[in-house]
Amino acid sequence: MSDFLPKTAAITKLKTLTDKEKLFTITLDNGDSLDHKPGQFVMVSLSGVGEAPISISSSPLRGNNSFDLCVRFVGNLTNKMHKLSVNDRIGIRGPYGNGFPLDRIYGKDIIFIAGGLGIAPLRSLIQHVLKKREEYGRVTILYGAKRPQDILFSEEVYTWVEDDSIEMHITVDVADSSWNRHVGVLPHLFKFTSIDPLNSVAVIVGPPVMYRFVIMEALTNGIFESNIFMSLERRMRCGLGKCGHCQINGVYVCQDGPVFSYKNAKKLKEAL
Amino acid sequence: MEELLIAYSNLNDFISQLMGEYNVIGPVRKENKFAFEPLESPSDIVIDYQTTILPPSKWIYLNNEALLEFNLHDIKKTKAIVNSKRQVILFAHPCDINGINVMDQILGEAPADLNYLKRRKETVIIGYECLKPCGEKNLCFDKDYHKAAGGFDLLFTDIGKSFYVHVATQVGKEIVSYSSFFKKVSYNDRNDLFNVRIEGAKEFKRVLSGNVDMLSHHLKDSYDDMIWDVMGKKCVSCGACNIVCPTCYCFDVVDEVNMDMDTGCRHRRWDACQLNDFSKVASGENFRRTAAERVRHRVFKKEVYLKKRFGRSGCVGCGRCIYSCIAKISILDIFNQVMVG
Repeated sequence: MSDFLPKTAAITKLKTLTDKEKLFTITLDNGDSLDHKPGQFVMVSLSGVGEAPISISSSPLRGNNSFDLCVRFVGNLTNKMHKLSVNDRIGIRGPYGNGFPLDRIYGKDIIFIAGGLGIAPLRSLIQHVLKKREEYGRVTILYGAKRPQDILFSEEVYTWVEDDSIEMHITVDVADSSWNRHVGVLPHLFKFTSIDPLNSVAVIVGPPVMYRFVIMEALTNGIFESNIFMSLERRMRCGLGKCGHCQINGVYVCQDGPVFSYKNAKKLKEAL
Repeated sequence: MEELLIAYSNLNDFISQLMGEYNVIGPVRKENKFAFEPLESPSDIVIDYQTTILPPSKWIYLNNEALLEFNLHDIKKTKAIVNSKRQVILFAHPCDINGINVMDQILGEAPADLNYLKRRKETVIIGYECLKPCGEKNLCFDKDYHKAAGGFDLLFTDIGKSFYVHVATQVGKEIVSYSSFFKKVSYNDRNDLFNVRIEGAKEFKRVLSGNVDMLSHHLKDSYDDMIWDVMGKKCVSCGACNIVCPTCYCFDVVDEVNMDMDTGCRHRRWDACQLNDFSKVASGENFRRTAAERVRHRVFKKEVYLKKRFGRSGCVGCGRCIYSCIAKISILDIFNQVMVG
């Protein structure tokens, strides 16, 4: 069976999140669960247009056999997705990639650091951890967006703010008059939290430019290099370790990633 | 391996026999160069050819290979396509046979590429042993890729008046057994083979400085060297080196809709890591923005990453990238520079 043949699926729910992002809830036609791990991605296929890699944005423990894709409209395929409605059919290949290392974060204090659209793949892990909250230590979420209207999953994000079992800090680069929380770049949120380096893991997802500064903060706070996890993006064409587009030095993001520990990622000189 | 003989005078008839059963792709003259093309007649071939423009591996790893057929209005009509036709690649040089072997390893790695593997299974490889180098810049001898220990079904060696034929596989055995032109080798024939090989070995010269086994190591040390900037300034990012390389396989996936606006095809198209947009993403970020980074990546992929992942170098020393480069960048010069630096 060719690995290029997508499974057919339907859009079962659609929600506009911001002026350039929508949340698609997808269910496979054959009723199967995608059976993914948080941190993995799928190749979304639209016949006649092509395919693009999109991170899975929901936890596999959610039930009801559906999964979420948060899509920013920025290229050929994603702009075509923008025009779709509930019940429209798409093709799905995957899940691909290694996902977040659940065995490495089990029982630890977790600091989630999300830059912009990075909250989308992190949401799969956050939901996963919150579903089994008692299996983890302290949960801290640091989330930075450009402006208040760019905050994704805002209803859910504010439930995390209200949740006593989570320490959550949100910042925007540029505020408006309605904003009464932090203003400034994401790394400065580290000032508002305390970290126990011996028991902490950091899970970071965001645009390439953000990683250096956030990793610097994580290291300054004593977190071990092997306990810092990051997700790297590339424009895969196959998801199968063959097309070459996701290659970073000697590794394939679609096979050996997209999640890397900083200890390994720092050896990849082309990573950022 | 079984060893047989076929006289020069029987070669064309043997090729005719093959053409009756298979699509036979062999080396033909193309103006002042050579190319692997489907034969229309046995006499088209040039036995004593120099490196072809494109390697024969491109007949197994096709450009514009169809992956899926789809219907724009009914997603359930999407069908995977895994197509191939029995074919013979006739008289591939050992460097190119080694190139095909490397491709077999790369595309056979899980998840394996069905399209390539199916066509590979239906391709018979008849090799032609090199008794002299094709050009001055070929580094096949340094990499020991001027010889093929395996990866072929039959291997022909010219011993004068006849070809000595090594039969390596069951498929090769079936081909020769259906043909009446092959007879067992004699003691004299074995002697002749030994002698032409001794004479042939004298023709090859080393062009790489130092020990080729240290090449990967020296390259890794040179990651931040000036040499990449120097090459980057010359490079025009045309991708010619990628297209002519026996072990380049990167691809793009493209959907094409037919004129009926109803049906279409998703196919893969050869891509080139040297092109500017290869590592570009939709947000505009380009992860290898400069030609220097791209040149370095190609050399590292061939000599460092593939070697680490599969235990053998992806550069077979055929020299095609050197001969095709518009900017006259030579991977041999790059290797020699890092070996002495």
